[in-house]
Amino acid sequence: MNKIVLVLAAIALLVFQTHAQDKLKTKSGSITFEASVPSFEEVKATNENVSAILNTETGEFAALALMKGFRFKLALMEEHFNENYVESTTYPKSVFKGTIENFDNGSLSNSPSEFVISGTVNMHGETKELSTTVELWKEGSTIMLSTSFVLKPGDFNIKIPAVVSKKIAEEVTVEAQFSLSN
Amino acid sequence: MNRKTIIVVSIALIIVLGILGYNYLYQDHRQITVEEPEAELNSDSITEIFKMDASNELLNATVSVTGVVTEIDQNSITLDGKVTCSFSEIPANINIGDSLEIKGRCIGYDDLFEIVKLDQCSILN
Repeated sequence: MNKIVLVLAAIALLVFQTHAQDKLKTKSGSITFEASVPSFEEVKATNENVSAILNTETGEFAALALMKGFRFKLALMEEHFNENYVESTTYPKSVFKGTIENFDNGSLSNSPSEFVISGTVNMHGETKELSTTVELWKEGSTIMLSTSFVLKPGDFNIKIPAVVSKKIAEEVTVEAQFSLSN
Repeated sequence: MNRKTIIVVSIALIIVLGILGYNYLYQDHRQITVEEPEAELNSDSITEIFKMDASNELLNATVSVTGVVTEIDQNSITLDGKVTCSFSEIPANINIGDSLEIKGRCIGYDDLFEIVKLDQCSILN
């Protein structure tokens, strides 16, 4: 009887351990977006509190950014971003869910290798498919993920008033970095 | 009124409007560290509020939260595994198990980790 309990405990421990190992995560990933137009005020913001989880068995990846966490250089621009554009009180978060194709944890090294990630972005109540390349590399037991892609406000039903449309680029460049660890 | 006064008055007006406009466009960011908390909560009560409604009035508000430190990261402290508070720089001498009251701006509920996030935090006790 005691042996059975011991074996069960050992199995439970093993399962728990592998479970703990195959999910790497961070609460402090960073996303920077820029929609600047030359010769106008810089339209750029960074969020350094982005959460992300990578399943190293399946390559599934999810990231969540709280919209109020985006910090601008200008307070007024931050206010307009939150109140008029992304309406961050009604839609407090943006979520990406996807899969890194042909992900193989064992093949990663200290030097970046490119993978394709595809999934969906949910922002401002709209969902849009996204496929882009990501660079992955290892720093010790941490997996680093870096990517850059373009989003269009129109795809997410974010309307830019005509008065300021010349000062905000139609294509928003998004850069994201995550250091995923246990 | 002669022409001279008109010119002087309009120049003064332009300068005043310019200064007002500049101050509006380039107004300062909020200083969370000097704001009074709008609500005093603990790690349980704040998570309950966000689980019920993710878009509640605590969003963007300065709040204070009490709890026990369960995790210390590069720039954040987690209380009771439920509230993650980010700092521009982690204060020295904080250890896991410490009981803290932290003030910060509430930026929302993160369903991936099931935590509430605060930024621009400072420690009150």
